[in-house]
Amino acid sequence: MSEMSVSVSAPTVHPGSQPLPEAPAKVTARNLNFYYGDHHALKNINLVLGANRVTAFIGPSGCGKSTLLRIFNRMYDLYPGQRADGQLLLDQTNILDPKLDLNLLRARVGMVFQKPTPFPMTIYENIAFGIRLYEKISKSEMDGRVEKALRGGALWNEVKDKLNASGLSLSGGQQQRLCIARTVAVRPEVILFDEPCSALDPISTAKVEELIQELSENYTIAIVTHNMQQAARVSDKTAFMYLGELIEFDDTSKIFTSPTDRRTQDYITGRFG
Amino acid sequence: MAVESNVIDAAGPYDRAKALSAFKLGDVTFYWITRLSAISVLLILGGIIISLIVGAFPAIKEYGLSFLWTQRWAPSADPPVLGALGPMYGTLVTSFIAMLIAIPVGLGIAIFLTELCPQWLRRPIGMAIELLAGIPSIIYGMWGFFVLGPFLANTFQPFMISVFDGVPVLGAIFAGPPSYLSLFNAALILAIMVLPFITSISVDVFKTVPPVLKEAAYGVGCTTWEVVRSVVIPYTRVGIIGGVMLALGRALGETMAVTFIIGNSFRISSSIFAPGTTISAAIASEFAESDGLHQSGLILLGLLLFVLTFFVLAAARLMLMRLETKAGK
Repeated sequence: MSEMSVSVSAPTVHPGSQPLPEAPAKVTARNLNFYYGDHHALKNINLVLGANRVTAFIGPSGCGKSTLLRIFNRMYDLYPGQRADGQLLLDQTNILDPKLDLNLLRARVGMVFQKPTPFPMTIYENIAFGIRLYEKISKSEMDGRVEKALRGGALWNEVKDKLNASGLSLSGGQQQRLCIARTVAVRPEVILFDEPCSALDPISTAKVEELIQELSENYTIAIVTHNMQQAARVSDKTAFMYLGELIEFDDTSKIFTSPTDRRTQDYITGRFG
Repeated sequence: MAVESNVIDAAGPYDRAKALSAFKLGDVTFYWITRLSAISVLLILGGIIISLIVGAFPAIKEYGLSFLWTQRWAPSADPPVLGALGPMYGTLVTSFIAMLIAIPVGLGIAIFLTELCPQWLRRPIGMAIELLAGIPSIIYGMWGFFVLGPFLANTFQPFMISVFDGVPVLGAIFAGPPSYLSLFNAALILAIMVLPFITSISVDVFKTVPPVLKEAAYGVGCTTWEVVRSVVIPYTRVGIIGGVMLALGRALGETMAVTFIIGNSFRISSSIFAPGTTISAAIASEFAESDGLHQSGLILLGLLLFVLTFFVLAAARLMLMRLETKAGK
């Protein structure tokens, strides 16, 4: 684990991160545009999220990273006046299809938010809730699934004796891992992390980062982060965005050592942003 | 420049002390004005209770506790026989039915307005609800008397009576004959009157649910109904119960509209389509012509309503407190 403090020089890339072989495409964006009313927020985004890879999105505030993430599970659909055009595929499914079953899409593309968002119910119910939406299973089976999910969220040992306590009684870091466990419990294919550590202390951050790495064995992961060390530590590929455009998208090791674009270079060395 | 600032600094402490003492006087005045305002509430409340007890005292002495379970109300008998059972029954039953109707409808409107309603429809519906709250109760009474009562007596009541005829329990509750003036009609008017309370408070508390929490629920694949049931309502239930209790308080005490359409009968009938009376309706319709023991009995009824409302609100408080400790807040 490299140090937490922000350095001026480009951060070091996590050990053993030789560029992985090119993974099959899980999510494909072609000429993707996004609008908040009249404001053109994302311009012609083209990129591919490789299956079982971690893709990090970096860039200064307001560059459209979170906006892009919220297109992947159509979260923007909740708000009137927001729309996307272009092409966005999850495997072969067109995510932007207006007739698409959104509940199904969101079961396949899970999301973890900036602030922990435990539901106002017990720890056990927080996990069982999502499972119950899709599957009718027995109590004992459910117990097993909840335990597995909590283990998946690296939280089991801390909460196994108080599964009936309110999810809100956990610490911030635990709440965030509960939310990750909840997301995992639904067995999605893609997990979106929207600045998952920005409200957490360094130790919780380290745990969540470790978790993200483990999860990438089974899931395709997209993570938005303001912390470049974090992007360097956890991701295989990094996308640098600026003013609604995708400036550069490449292997993380390449982005942080020899970026091709001047603006990427300036951003990762801390000259702006 | 430096010298000037030194001079100001030196004079500072003295000036400040003087300025502060002026503030202090203002502070004390302010403290006493607010304190007296707060105390006046206690005085008014205490005054009302005492005058109710004093006014009711002859009736308390005459009837004692049997006032509570006597159904007969015969103020012109000699000596007058007065019992509160009928009005108490009517008050509780009408309020209960009103809440039974108003809570689901009110919550439904609130959910629609906050979660589902297209933007352009939001304002008209919201405004209509506010206007509903602004209609004076006498208008509800007249409307209930001339329009709603006849309508119900000709359509809804005969239908329910024929459907449940012969069914145990329900058959007795929905028993004939249909009537313009009945407990049910009064309860329906009450439901319409308290609807704005439940709706507007629910809308307000629903808006306090953090969008990200709803997004998280949508994010695991919930439908709108599942988000509302599992996240929005549990998150806001304390506020919702508060709104419901406010509405219940209004329903228990509502006088004018109910007096118009309830029929003012002190007899207790198992049917909700039969005429009845409530405490406030009984007082409103008889107080002007009463004297002596009769008047004292009516004041005692008022005292009962006061106590009844107090207990309902206290029970609500208790329930809220238990909910809050259970939620671990």
